Formats: sequence, C-alpha cells, structure tokens
Amino acid sequence: MVNDPGDRVLEPYVETDNSVETRKAVSDGLLGIHNITSNRFWQFAALFGIMFIFGIVGFVWKLSSGFDDKSTWGYYVAVFAFLMTTSSAAPMVAIAPRIANSHWRRPISRAAEIWTLAGCLNLILYIPLIWLLPSLENGRRSLWFYGQQEGVPAYSPHIWATLAIVGLVLLGLSLLWLSTLPDFAVLRDQGEGWKKKWGGKLALGWRGTSAQWNWQHHRMGVVGAFYFMMLVFVHFFISVEFLMVHVPGWIDSLYPITHAHNALQAGVATVMLTMFFLRQFGGYKDYIGLDQFWGLGKLLLALSLLWFWFWFSSFNVFWYGGKPSEQAVLELFVKGPYLYLFITIFILVFILPWFTMIWNPVRRSVWGPAILATSVLIGTLLDRIRLYVASWDVAGRSMAKELEMKMQDVPTKIQTPGYEDIFIMVGFIAGSILIFMLATRLIPAVNLWEQKEMLLYKAEIQFHRTKVTVMGKPR
Amino acid sequence: MQEHTQLSHKQINEDLLKGVLTVPKWWLPAVSFLGLVVLTGLGAFFFMMYHGLGVTGLNRPVMWGVFIANFVFWIGISHAGIMISAILRLTQAEWRRPITRAAEVMTVFSLIAALHTPLMHVGRPWRVLYWIFPYDFSRGIWPNIRSPFVWDPSAVGTYLIASSLFVFVCLLPDIAILRDRAKKPIVKKIYAQMALGFRGTPRQWKLQILAGILLSALVLPVFVSVHSIVSWDFAVLIGVEGWHSTIFAPYFIIGAIHSGVSAVAMLMALSVWLYGLDKYIKPDHFDAIARLLIVVATTWFFFFFLEWVYALYTLAPPEIALRELQAFQWPYGPLFAIFIITSFVIPVPLWLFKRVRRSVVWMFWTTVLVNIGMWLERFLIVIPGLIRRTHMTFDWGTYHPSIVEILIVVETFAFVCLGMLLFAKVLPLVPLFDVKEGMVNRRLIKVGRRVIPATIREGLPHHYYEKKQ
Repeated sequence: MVNDPGDRVLEPYVETDNSVETRKAVSDGLLGIHNITSNRFWQFAALFGIMFIFGIVGFVWKLSSGFDDKSTWGYYVAVFAFLMTTSSAAPMVAIAPRIANSHWRRPISRAAEIWTLAGCLNLILYIPLIWLLPSLENGRRSLWFYGQQEGVPAYSPHIWATLAIVGLVLLGLSLLWLSTLPDFAVLRDQGEGWKKKWGGKLALGWRGTSAQWNWQHHRMGVVGAFYFMMLVFVHFFISVEFLMVHVPGWIDSLYPITHAHNALQAGVATVMLTMFFLRQFGGYKDYIGLDQFWGLGKLLLALSLLWFWFWFSSFNVFWYGGKPSEQAVLELFVKGPYLYLFITIFILVFILPWFTMIWNPVRRSVWGPAILATSVLIGTLLDRIRLYVASWDVAGRSMAKELEMKMQDVPTKIQTPGYEDIFIMVGFIAGSILIFMLATRLIPAVNLWEQKEMLLYKAEIQFHRTKVTVMGKPR
Repeated sequence: MQEHTQLSHKQINEDLLKGVLTVPKWWLPAVSFLGLVVLTGLGAFFFMMYHGLGVTGLNRPVMWGVFIANFVFWIGISHAGIMISAILRLTQAEWRRPITRAAEVMTVFSLIAALHTPLMHVGRPWRVLYWIFPYDFSRGIWPNIRSPFVWDPSAVGTYLIASSLFVFVCLLPDIAILRDRAKKPIVKKIYAQMALGFRGTPRQWKLQILAGILLSALVLPVFVSVHSIVSWDFAVLIGVEGWHSTIFAPYFIIGAIHSGVSAVAMLMALSVWLYGLDKYIKPDHFDAIARLLIVVATTWFFFFFLEWVYALYTLAPPEIALRELQAFQWPYGPLFAIFIITSFVIPVPLWLFKRVRRSVVWMFWTTVLVNIGMWLERFLIVIPGLIRRTHMTFDWGTYHPSIVEILIVVETFAFVCLGMLLFAKVLPLVPLFDVKEGMVNRRLIKVGRRVIPATIREGLPHHYYEKKQ
C-alpha cells in the first residue's frame, strides 16, 4: 500500500513575473475588455432601445383595448411566457454546474446571471395579466384540495402566482448581486468614474477575507438552490394559471414539468447565443473557449432529447387513451389548425438539435451551437405562441366552467396577431436584450473572481509523452 | 475524494480478486440458504402451474396482483446500473469507479427477476412460444402488436441484451487478469475464451473505452424507454382511475432511479461488510451517492405531488374516491403512510446530515427503508386501482396475496441476491481496471494550506481544440 501520495501532490499555484496566466493578468484583461464600449455597441443599444419604445407603445395600446375579450390576449401571454422561459431560466446554467463543481461554467456563469435583470420586464408584463386570470368564483378548477375549496379566497390563484413570480425575480437579483460582490470590489479598487462609485456602493465593504469568501460560497449555494426550486414552482403556476385552466379537459399532470424543462432548454440556448456574441463581438475570445460551447452543447443535446420524451409521454397517453375530451385537446394543440406550426417547432426544437449536436465536431465549434441555439429559441417562441394563443382562443369562447371540451369547440383557424401584439413581441424581446447590454456596462460579463479562482485549481503536467490538464475539485 | 488511499496495482489485484480466488466462510451457507428459497419459490410456481391461477389471490376485479407490482419494482431496481454506470461515466464523475460493476450486474439480475414475474403471472408461460412460433395463422393468435404486453417484453428484452453486453465489455480487462492468474487449466481455458484475447494493447484499450462510451450512450434511450413502456401499461388505460396520467412515464423512471440508486448504496454497504472493500468504497462514496439520492428523492417526491394534485384537480368523483381508498381506507391507508414515511420522510431529512451520509450503517438502513417504500408504492398503484368498487363491478375488496404469490415474490429477491453472490465468486464485483485508472489519474493540488483532490482531465486538453479552430 502506498499511503504517501508523494509526487502526486502538485505544488500550489505561484505567481511569477513570467507566468502567462496570473490573477493580475486575468483582472487586467477582463477589466480592459469591460471598460471598452465600442460605437457599434451603442448603435445596437440604440436600435434595441427604439424597438423597446415600440414595445411600450404596443403595451399601452393593448391595455387601452380592454380585458373583456380574452382571445385577443394570447400573443401577449405568449411573449410573457417566452421571456419567462428564456431570461428567467438562463441563471440555471450558472447555478447547476456551480453546484456540480464543473469548471467549464466559469466564463459562462455571470452572463447567465445577468439575464435575471430582464425579469423586471416580466413583472411589467405580468401586471395586466392579474386582471385576466379567472378567479375561483367563476367555477374554475382550483389546485386546492377538493374538500377545502369552500374556504379558499376567490383570488388565491392571483396571490400565489404573483408571489411566485415576484419571488423569482427577487431571488434572481439577489443571486446576481451576491455573485458580483467580489467584482464590484475590484471595480471599486481599480475602476474609474461612475463605475468606481457604484462598485463601491454595491460591494458593501467587501475585502475578500476568509470569512467573507466562506459566506459568499455558502450564500450562493443556498440562493441558487432556492432559485431553482422557485423556477420550477413558477413554471408550475404559469402552466396551470395561464394555460391549463383555460382549456376544458386538459388534465396533463406532466405539463408543469414540460414547461419547466422547456425553460431549461431555452435558458441553455439563450446563454449559448450570449456566449457566441460575447466571444465574437465582445472581445472575450481568450476567455470563452470551445470548452464552454462543448459543455453547453452536451446540455442542449440532452435537453432536446428530453423535450421529445416529455412531449411523447403526454401525447401517447392522450392519443392511445382515445378519450373524447383528450382527443379534442390534441386537436387543439397538435392536429388541428396548429399542425404545421407544430411540425416546424418539432423540427426546430428537437430534430435539428438532435441530428446535429450528436456529432462532436458540431459541439466543439462556435458557429454550430450558436445556429442551433437560434433554432431552439425560434422554436420555443413558436411553441409559446402555439400553446398560449390556442388556449386563450378557447378561453375567449367562455368555456372555462366546463370540464370537458368537445371536438366542435376546437377553433378551425389560427388567431392572427394585431399590430400591438407584434410591437409587444418585438419590443419586449428587444427590451430584454437592451437591459442585458446595459447591465454589462456596470457588471463585467465574464466573472473575474471565478476566472481567478480557476487558476488555483488548474495545473498542466507531463504525463508519459504528453501534457495533460489536472483539475482540482474542492468539496 | 478527500480520503484517498493510493494503492499499487498489485495490491488492487490482490484485494479485489480475493473474493474470486478464495471462498469466504459465510459464502456457502449464504448461497445454500438463498438457493433453498429460490427452489421453494420455483416449487410454488410449479404448484401454481399444475393447479392453475386459482391458487393465487387473483380474482375479479383484481387480475393484476403482487406479481405485477413486483415486476415494476424489479424493473425499477434495474435502472440503477445504467444510472450509476452510463450516466456517471458520460459525466466523468470520478466517484463512480468502484461501484459501477455491482450496479451493472444488479441490473442484469433484476431484469431477469423482472422478466420471469409476468411470465409466472400469465399462468401458462409456455404459451410465450406462440409469440415466437405462431402455430396457426387462421386462428388469429398472433400477438397483438398494439398491446403494451408486446411492448414490454421487447423493451425489457432489449434492455437485458444491451445491459449484458455493457457488463461484458466492461469486464474484458478484468477477465484477462483472471485468465492470467488462474491456476487450473480448465478455469484458465474458460477465462481465456471469455477474455476474447484481450492483452491490453493500446488499440484494445482504445476500442474497449470507445465501446464503453458508445454503449453508455446507446443504452440510455433503452433505459428511458423500458420504464416508460412499463408505465404506459397502466397510463394508456382510461378505465382505471389513477392510472390514466401523463406523468406516469417520468414518474416511474424517477421512482426507478430512486429505488435503484438506493439499492446500489445497499450493495456498497454489503460489499464493505462482506468483502472488506473499505479501502475502495469509502465514506466519500456514500456521501456522493447520498447527495445524488437527495436530488433524486426530492424530484421523485415533486412528481408524486404533481400526480396527486392533478388527480384531485380533475374533480372527478371516481378519481377522488380512489385517492381516498389509497390514502385513508383499510388496509391501504397504513400501507400508504408506511410508503411515504419510508421512501421520503425518514431518509431524505437524515441524508441532509453529513454524519449520516458518511456512515455505512446509516446509509444501509435508510436505503433499505427506501426500497420497502418503493415496493409499497408499486403495490399501491396496482391493487387499489383495480379493487375499487365501480358501477359495473359486482365483486370487490377481495384481493389478498396467497402464500404461493408471496413465495414467488420472495423467490425473486433471493434470486437476485444469489445471482450477485455467484457472480462475485467467478468475476470481480469491483472493476479492477477502472479503479487502477482512477489511481493513475489522481493527483492532489495544494491551494493555500489545503490540499484538494484533483484528476487528470479525460479527453483532449483545451488548447488542442483551440488550435484546430
């Protein structure tokens, strides 16, 4: 038995003047990129800003049209759900690998967390929806246990949904702030002008003591875990309150999971595309490598396969069961007027990622994952439109009190969007991107402290005739 | 792993082949006892074949009894191997190394146990031959390919073949070691045949690793399809309340992973106690599997919660009546309480404590509890669903498993244990090559005053890909 590890203990990381990768070099490099704001950045920001103004115009226009006809609100809810599916789910790409101690997530995590800021837009979009949710007085089904429905307030769904969505946004902001604390301290100490001022205020006296670091890791773990749980619950509420409750006969116990899973898939795609732009146009080429695209690509492949499994699990039970009300639900969402839209979604969200991401050369490229992420995001947007527009169209036919939908109740054609819907769709998606872009002016888009931490855990050694990378995994 | 003991290859060979090359004192009594139980179970089965299914408790309306519950349970346990071996292999989790083989082997034996339960359940198992050789076209006795009962054997059979192949491919280097160490010519010859000429050349290693990765990836869809299909045996029916639920496929799979991974933790504890493998299976391994179990169990509980919420959400009186029967009425109410308490309420909070996670004894008993609960879960899905009185049912509340059924169910447990013990007698239960590879790859890095575990990264280094770009 060889109890003494002997030469297997690698020496600690020591910075020398000759070191290529030093903590200072990482700080200087990332701050240097962070401090440069090109003209092209402002041009794009202005473009997204103008689009966002159109979105606000559409929003006001929509509000002025009133809440009486629910069938006209499908596209609006679809945009809300799309932003909930993408920007609110993106931080999971930072949380999950961080809990699993995966080093490849380090350059990714900050950008993923910044997307939580876009959740503030979701809150604005959510406000009118409170007036559109059916209350328990209308005879709608409740998630409360059947024996206790008598004593439940009529507006309890509104309260629960609001608490969940606000809670998710607040948790997201807390996570972003906690994760940025050490970087704010760097801005305070090394930044200039308004960044130095705001960095100082937001760093809250961060000095990097052992106790502060211990707390930092601990709190980020706890807040991350809560964020994940809250995300699942939010999708549970959204899938019930904004979808299932409007469609008589749609009792799909798997759907909340499917909705949350769609969010994870779209969240990964969002981060993938963000990484692509940061690498290609943001100057982060030295920090965002192929490892990141490879890691994200594997995640996207797994999630795309799961997409099919979840969809088929629901579809098969409904289709094979042959129950009339469930056949009507299938007619509404799959076989009826939305058939071609469904086929397009199926190709974009499942077929394309599956048949391409399965190949290592595609996953290990920059353009491959970026194109497929775009495919998944377009597919997800179309999927939100298919589901929400169809279900709100049915809700507009005042069938909420019925427990089962009949085939003749299924609409024969797709609702078309109004100008205000298009304005909202384009404007609020652009608004989310604008918020992300502006946030990167204060918050470094690639995590400084996680990159520097990486230097401590990584070593290159000679192994027989080749050089290999050794990665440390602290518990 | 923090508590690492660096061992030489010679030491690893001696430790891990001890169970194969020597006979522990407890081995023969244990094998004899288990063999007796298996024979008793088979005796009960032949008795049932001779007298017919009337000797069981099966009667209208409950025609699916403990046999089917047991079938679902063993299918669930079989998910452990792929979960532990394939998924952890693909995600390069280092802690998987000493436990993969036991998990894979348990998959194979539990699949055989699962397969023979429905075969006994049908009463006249020889008729399975008609599926392979239909003797009369005109009588239309071809198997109905639209039936889930055709999907089941196809899926489980595919899974059994794929898992066996997976076990065999991963065994090759270890069989080669046994071939080289065997003294008796006949034994040497058998191992030599099984090793397929494995000599450990670079090309053979490359092919073996590639085959392992490919099989891991290919077996994953089979793994998912098997329990999905088993769940659809129930879920596609609309006549039985409580079964027609879209969540059944993922719910069954996550439940299977819960019970399967728990069974692997039980096996780990037994390996430490029976074979003295504490140098290989350390508290860190128990800690890692317990963390995995916390995630799996919580996810499973969420799925269970959704299944119930949506059942009640229908507001359909039969559905509500079934749930009341399952949860509150005798004799299912107490079983339901035991199921919830043993599968979630006791183990998961206990696993939150590091001392419990790192204790072999605690992990063994908590995972035993999980499997008691998960067996009851399957029982509570199958029986109350069928037994409930409906307007077309003239006979209800009649099912009590007979002694014949109980003996056959016990036989399946003894069969799996016996299979594992016999396997461990001829082949190593811990993969030698995998453990050695882990030792070779392992390093430690000093960070400040701490020394943290490190591993050589599998695959090509980062800069290789960058250059190609």
